[in-house]
Amino acid sequence: MGVLPELGLVRSDDLGRVLASVDAEHVPYAGGTELVPAMGLGLRRPAAVVDLKRVEALGRIAVDADAGAVEIGAAVTHRRIAEHPGVRRHLPVLARAAGRVGNARVRSTGTIGGNLCFAEPRSDLACVLIALQATSEVRSGRGARTLAVDELVIGAFETSLSADEILVSVTVPFEPAGMSYWKLQSYERPTLGVAVVVTEDRWEITVGAAVERPVRTVLAAGDSAGLDDFAAGLDIGADLCGPAEYKRSVLREHLRTVLETAP
Amino acid sequence: MTEPRPPEGEGPAPAATSVVIAFRLNGRRVETLAPVRLTAAELLRDQLGLTGTKVSCGIQVCGACTVLVDGAPASSCCLLAVDLDGTEVVTVEGLAQGRELHPVQEAFAAANALQCGYCTPGFVMMTVALLAADPRPDRAAVREWLDGNLCRCTGYAPIETAVILAAERTAP
Repeated sequence: MGVLPELGLVRSDDLGRVLASVDAEHVPYAGGTELVPAMGLGLRRPAAVVDLKRVEALGRIAVDADAGAVEIGAAVTHRRIAEHPGVRRHLPVLARAAGRVGNARVRSTGTIGGNLCFAEPRSDLACVLIALQATSEVRSGRGARTLAVDELVIGAFETSLSADEILVSVTVPFEPAGMSYWKLQSYERPTLGVAVVVTEDRWEITVGAAVERPVRTVLAAGDSAGLDDFAAGLDIGADLCGPAEYKRSVLREHLRTVLETAP
Repeated sequence: MTEPRPPEGEGPAPAATSVVIAFRLNGRRVETLAPVRLTAAELLRDQLGLTGTKVSCGIQVCGACTVLVDGAPASSCCLLAVDLDGTEVVTVEGLAQGRELHPVQEAFAAANALQCGYCTPGFVMMTVALLAADPRPDRAAVREWLDGNLCRCTGYAPIETAVILAAERTAP
């Protein structure tokens, strides 16, 4: 009886102990938003989950005004990101996106780290973070490394983490003026997400959800032909939310609205 | 504990398959041995007999199993019971004072916002959480907040009306 098979729990407030415990059979666990259903469906069968929530360093949000960046611990929930005054001030687009992830229950338990490491293609946060060129700090018992979120999320449900590595935090540069994120969504997850940064001479565009992982490009402002080529060249997938050409058409129209008709 | 404990601070921490947890449930202290595989919904319904919390989709999209954990709504079907340790949990059974219904329950009844009633505890708990954070939500805010809760019989208009009614009756 019960929806889950036999399962162990490793729980420590010490990051070193946590790192020493994580491997292919002992998997990182925070909100359980993705992992618990995956275990219930038999898609994941770990021997134990390693709870990250009691490690203080993973639950911190730190604004670094000198560096012009916000560091967000991997076990911080969407709700805390959406409500945090420093995030709302310096990363208003990210705060709004976090405040619209899934539903209110997902937001109060699900975490930024879980969202990125599950690497579900239909992720608002991955799109916004890649648009902002955020970096991630990754650790294992062997050491630490820093890599772009763009290098962390490498495919549909695929990251570049080894089985013994965990995501510790994400560092997000303050948002530039002229940034927006828009999504088309009918159900729990976005069908299409588009982050745009408009400067005087550049159009920076990141497309998520309709593609296996977010795709970012930079065009000269006014390059409508480049915009056509970019939209036409994306490997957009079909699903129950619509065929690829529908999503491509919505994308092209949105880009026209925010870029080509912008004042 | 299933493995011997290594020296403090070295090597992997031991994995337990059951953990003693203590939390407050509808104002009363509960201490129990929870298997790690147990979901919060299973603990509440099957071990503690509080069957007001319903289970439906099992993947956190329908909202029927909503409970409040430290005031925030959570899907108890996808929450491990061990994560309730140290928290304050409120289920639909914790709302009424004796035979006196909670204002949100009153409003759902007054607005005929239920038919079969299976989804109702989840909608009620979500509404309690919404009004705690936003005592006077407009209809758009109600719709956005409840867009992760499914009702398959009444339709959503009476539910929206019930939430607005509850807000009117309780807002300071």
